[in-house]
Amino acid sequence: MAMKDLVDDLAARRSRARAMGGEDAVAKQRAAGKLTARERVDLLFDAGTFTEFGIHATHAGIAPDLAGRETPADGMITGVGRIDGRLASVIAYDFTVMAGSMGRTAELKGNRAREIALTKRMPMIWLIDSAGARIQEAIGSRNFAATGLLFREESIMSGVIPQVAAMMGPGAAGTAYIPALSDFVPMVRGTSNMALGGPPLVKAVVGEDITAEELGGSKVHCEISGCADLEVADDRECLAAIREYLSYFPSANTDAPPVSACSDPVDRRAEELLTIVPDSARRAYDVKKVIRAVVDDGRMFEIKPGWAKNIVTALARLNGHPVGVVANQPQVLGGALDNDAADKAARFIMLCDAFNVPLVFLQDVPGFMVGSKVERAGIIRHGAKMLYAVSEATVPKLTVVLRKAYGAGYYVMCGRAYEPDVIVAWPTAEISVMGPEGGTNIVFRREIAAAADPAAERARRVEDFRKLINPYIAAGAALIDDVIDPRETRAVLVRGLEMAKRKRIDRPWRKHGVVPV
Amino acid sequence: MAEEIKAHITGVVFQITTKPGDAVAAGDPVIVLESMKMEIPVEAPRAGTVKEIRVAEGQTVQEGDTVAVID
Repeated sequence: MAMKDLVDDLAARRSRARAMGGEDAVAKQRAAGKLTARERVDLLFDAGTFTEFGIHATHAGIAPDLAGRETPADGMITGVGRIDGRLASVIAYDFTVMAGSMGRTAELKGNRAREIALTKRMPMIWLIDSAGARIQEAIGSRNFAATGLLFREESIMSGVIPQVAAMMGPGAAGTAYIPALSDFVPMVRGTSNMALGGPPLVKAVVGEDITAEELGGSKVHCEISGCADLEVADDRECLAAIREYLSYFPSANTDAPPVSACSDPVDRRAEELLTIVPDSARRAYDVKKVIRAVVDDGRMFEIKPGWAKNIVTALARLNGHPVGVVANQPQVLGGALDNDAADKAARFIMLCDAFNVPLVFLQDVPGFMVGSKVERAGIIRHGAKMLYAVSEATVPKLTVVLRKAYGAGYYVMCGRAYEPDVIVAWPTAEISVMGPEGGTNIVFRREIAAAADPAAERARRVEDFRKLINPYIAAGAALIDDVIDPRETRAVLVRGLEMAKRKRIDRPWRKHGVVPV
Repeated sequence: MAEEIKAHITGVVFQITTKPGDAVAAGDPVIVLESMKMEIPVEAPRAGTVKEIRVAEGQTVQEGDTVAVID
């Protein structure tokens, strides 16, 4: 054939692949409220920047029932494109082709996309909408015994390049481990779900009748299990969330996070912070108001906002520089730390430290929860994760004690011993092994019982106790750097960040620590 | 449809802020517990009318105990 004919043939092949699973399958995808894999890739990347690899791929020709049929792009779109000008690699499952099932050719395409991401040091993004392994091509140990490479690689890439796995449809069985090993997992409400065993398997093995949504929908994973990071309304919101999330991170762990232009004055005084902490130490307030008052333009990107709400973990910027904020939330469980809160914070601290994102700690913590329920659930080992993560982190760390800094809560929220580059307190701060009421009851139990008026004696002792824990005691001993007007918090943090910019801490050599899990 | 409101933390009932017949919005405190030396509200999960308060001030409740019912 002449080149002209060959080129026409090429164009026809491309056009067939771009039609995905055909008109009916695409119509079904849209009717389900989902965009197609190709539309998703276009929206994920800056316009016109996507370069596709593997468009001519089709199934491996080993399943008899696939003979004579094509599987366009083998049900997976792969390639690279730019997000805010920076390259990222994508693997988008195409549900219109055999329900996005992972065939052997698709697996090779995925391997290639991951290799590009790792060796060229750019983020890896999965857009998951898949029935799982393509059983026709995976059945028999000759096929299965060689697989699983993906999860090992994902583990090795962890902390080297950012990894995002967006749930935009089903992701059952092995596919569910892709998000489990990723850094950030948004889930689309209503259309996405993930479970190690889907409903039919659950029914067959444990006899439970349950829908995919009840088993592993976005509510389950964003509010109960903590396996996902953000519930989003639809595909567009999901793709926008991925772009925003990545804007806080460098392309790889060897780079600094990108700096944005900042028009919010660095010395802006936040007047609302003067009245935010209630006069009574027993009353709650919303710490998110403090975060918004302090960071650039009041803008923060919360990670796991619906889970372990007694601690807030959010990405934000200070003078254009990305930071990770860890803040106790007095409004939920009084801000006390429990197993889930410790897990949430520990993971967030590791995430920020891995990618050179400085940490800001806002302390108002009455301590770790106590009682038989949390002890049986292993709060000691969960709390240890947070101690471990904050100890290991070598990024700049800035601590502000807003109010309570009680017990081990003070430690895990980057107290003095945990290498904060700046540690300051608001005048309302109380840094203490325990709260005045609890402390008085233990230390002065006998004196209170013996007093003519025990209630008055207790109140007097509590007041005496309070005098020992006000911030000027710690500041007077030079154990904190300053007591600050709450309105100055933004300026203090911006200057602290500038001061700590070239921070370098070398740890003794080890293969790796024995991480509490 | 009646819905039970359960304590999400073990504590002592500090204050009962609603009574049967009161209309509440989602997120309104129905009672306030004291735990970890903090006043922690137990909130209505959705809008409705308080049908029943099942606890008294000063009473200890365990996490998961029903403290009130809304309609």
